[in-house]
Amino acid sequence: MAGVSLADIRSALSIPDSTEGAGPSQPKKQAQTTRKPEGISRELYSLIGPSQPFLAAQVAKPRLKQKPKFATGGTAATKWELRTVKNPARTDGLALKHWAKASEDPETESPFAKYNIQNPVYTYSQDEYSRFLDTSNRAATPKDANPDFEKQWTKDWTDYLFRLYNDYDGRWPVIWDRAEFPPEANFDLEDLKHRYYSVCRKLIRNRPWPGDEASKTALINSLQFDIEREKMRKRYVVSLESRTSEQMAEEDALYLEVRRLEQTERRFKRDREDLMRTLAGMDSGLPYIVEDNGGPLGILAESSSRGPTKKGRKNPALDGTDSPSTPSGPVSSTPTHKRPQNTKSAAYDAQHCIIRTELSSNTPATKAAHQPAYARSSKIPYLKNNSMQTKILQSFAEMGLSPSRLVMPTKENCAQLEGLLEAVTAMLETKKHLDKVDYDIQVLKKQLGMKTGEGDGDGEGSVKREETMDVDNPQDTETDGNEGRGQSVMSVRSVRSRKKSRAMSTSSVETAATSVSTRKRQKRG
Amino acid sequence: MSSNDRVRVRGLSIFRPIIYGNTAVALTQKERDALPSPDHTHRWTVAVRSAASVPGSDQVGGADDLSYFIKRVTFKLHDTYPTPTRNIDKPPFEVTETGWGEFEIIIRITFITEAAEKTMTLLHHLKLHPWTVTGEPEIPPLEVALKAGPVHSWQYDEIVFNDPFQNFLNLLTQHPPTPLPKVKKKPVPFHLANPGSFEESKGGTPEFWTGMIAEEAERLEEARKKVITEQERLRAELIEKEQEYEKLKKQVAEGAGAAA
Repeated sequence: MAGVSLADIRSALSIPDSTEGAGPSQPKKQAQTTRKPEGISRELYSLIGPSQPFLAAQVAKPRLKQKPKFATGGTAATKWELRTVKNPARTDGLALKHWAKASEDPETESPFAKYNIQNPVYTYSQDEYSRFLDTSNRAATPKDANPDFEKQWTKDWTDYLFRLYNDYDGRWPVIWDRAEFPPEANFDLEDLKHRYYSVCRKLIRNRPWPGDEASKTALINSLQFDIEREKMRKRYVVSLESRTSEQMAEEDALYLEVRRLEQTERRFKRDREDLMRTLAGMDSGLPYIVEDNGGPLGILAESSSRGPTKKGRKNPALDGTDSPSTPSGPVSSTPTHKRPQNTKSAAYDAQHCIIRTELSSNTPATKAAHQPAYARSSKIPYLKNNSMQTKILQSFAEMGLSPSRLVMPTKENCAQLEGLLEAVTAMLETKKHLDKVDYDIQVLKKQLGMKTGEGDGDGEGSVKREETMDVDNPQDTETDGNEGRGQSVMSVRSVRSRKKSRAMSTSSVETAATSVSTRKRQKRG
Repeated sequence: MSSNDRVRVRGLSIFRPIIYGNTAVALTQKERDALPSPDHTHRWTVAVRSAASVPGSDQVGGADDLSYFIKRVTFKLHDTYPTPTRNIDKPPFEVTETGWGEFEIIIRITFITEAAEKTMTLLHHLKLHPWTVTGEPEIPPLEVALKAGPVHSWQYDEIVFNDPFQNFLNLLTQHPPTPLPKVKKKPVPFHLANPGSFEESKGGTPEFWTGMIAEEAERLEEARKKVITEQERLRAELIEKEQEYEKLKKQVAEGAGAAA
């Protein structure tokens, strides 16, 4: 109260406020004490004052765990219930139960379902195999790490390897353990891996890729396998593990010996230096003997040579140029120097529709090499393949596109169209192979049907038997080794062909239907 | 001209977006009677223009004067026209005529001498009758055609100059092309390579805009993805069939062995 009145008097008498000079006044102090941080006692605060806020923070009362709130005040306990877990990884329909919060959606999949990642399955057709993967009759290129080895692989073996890979989910030691290749093959684990990964890489490289180039190279790089390196690594590990205690002792002894020699050498150098300085009053001028950095002692040599090299570099440093930065200077400064220019010129290029290409140094600068002006649309590739042309046109029409025209033939779009054209051609190529195999199957089936029809005599009986046949009892069939869907479909087909009334099997009906529809489309177009 | 000007700038290509095509309107009976050849049903204009349109104009394209790099445009009309080869030496590079039928017009673009480039030939199918969803040509009756308004058929293209001479490059960079509008304000020009744009192309004078480039890129990308998935499917089927084939072959061989 008194303080307040004092201040009032001061202001009334227009006496300058002398609080700063006259020491702490009552009201000021009060204002400060109100800002006293929590967790610090008043006495202590008055001692240390407001000047040590960091201290106050340290002294702050440790936060204790909050008292648990039990379900007494209004909130009911969370309900849990025993529920079956939905796990998409299970195919056998086994239902396991879990305790889950009742508030959760019972339809959600198990949160662990996302960890059930399947390895992508790579398969290849006969055509792809003979074109890209068959190494048996190809001349060994110098690039192949081990051409003799690659030559060994047949399609059967490769198929077998891929089947094993899928069966054992890419667990290589298991695959290698279970694999039963003929004894002459004698494959190592690395050989199997090498073959598998090289096949995958070739497939990816040769197939049209839906994404961009970067993701393709990333995937290919992830499938990289260097067999030589891997074998060397394993040899190295084996040799490291198989050292005898004598060898280890010898190694240690050698190591100590080398250290000793190095120390002696250093001492000798120092002595020589001192001697030269005292005698001639100058540096020896002799070059330091640079230790050999090669071999297993490289680290040691480097650490010992670091001293003298630093010394030697001191001289240019005195000249004002910072020696370590001199070589790296222009390197580091160019990109920073260039960047603003680049963005500027990019905007300029975009405005003026300029496209710059890297000049290869060996481009002949003659007039003949000049590419005349062209309309962008003229760079759309022609349809060369005559037999495929109509089919390509058809597939493009189905997609609402044209193989030869673009609405906006920009550079990127022309490239896109080219990629699409490639993809379509590859697709049609596959279709062609499929149709051919389909036809071959029909022929074989007819052969088989005729043969068994002649052999059986009792056609109707066998039909009935096969119709009731289940996938589960394969003993009932005339063929061994067939399983699953393929077999049941096949036997139904062979039944049909046997009946003769319906010689056309389902697949041929399909192809017939497609050919009808294509004919229609052709008529329309 | 300094000697420096006649140096080619290597590693650089510069392009100019253009459009070429035609608009056509059906003639009323009265207009037809006034013509020297009353059997003509349409008045059409074939033109080569810059791609961007003048804002607020009813003309497709033509925001820039292309005469800074084009010296002459020759339109080769159907031989039944008097003087079928029409040389246009100054902008606007267009020919307006009347006629009754659609035909291919050969467009020859001659560049200015500084370009030192040969003439470029483009082909345009003169479009008189309205676009249809199916792409089948249909000739609607006069009243319908009059009501439907002008028919537009335009092709966007880019003229690319490789390693241009310095002075030509300077000339080009003095005239940066008007960029296409970033937002769509008018209908898009219909194109046979994009039948899906039929609905979008209705309702007045069309205009090219930048979104069309991205849209087409997207369509191509999507189609490519679709084709590739289809191929994956076919390949899987093929592999399955090949296995079936192998089994059948074995079966046949076994059967033959048993028979023998």
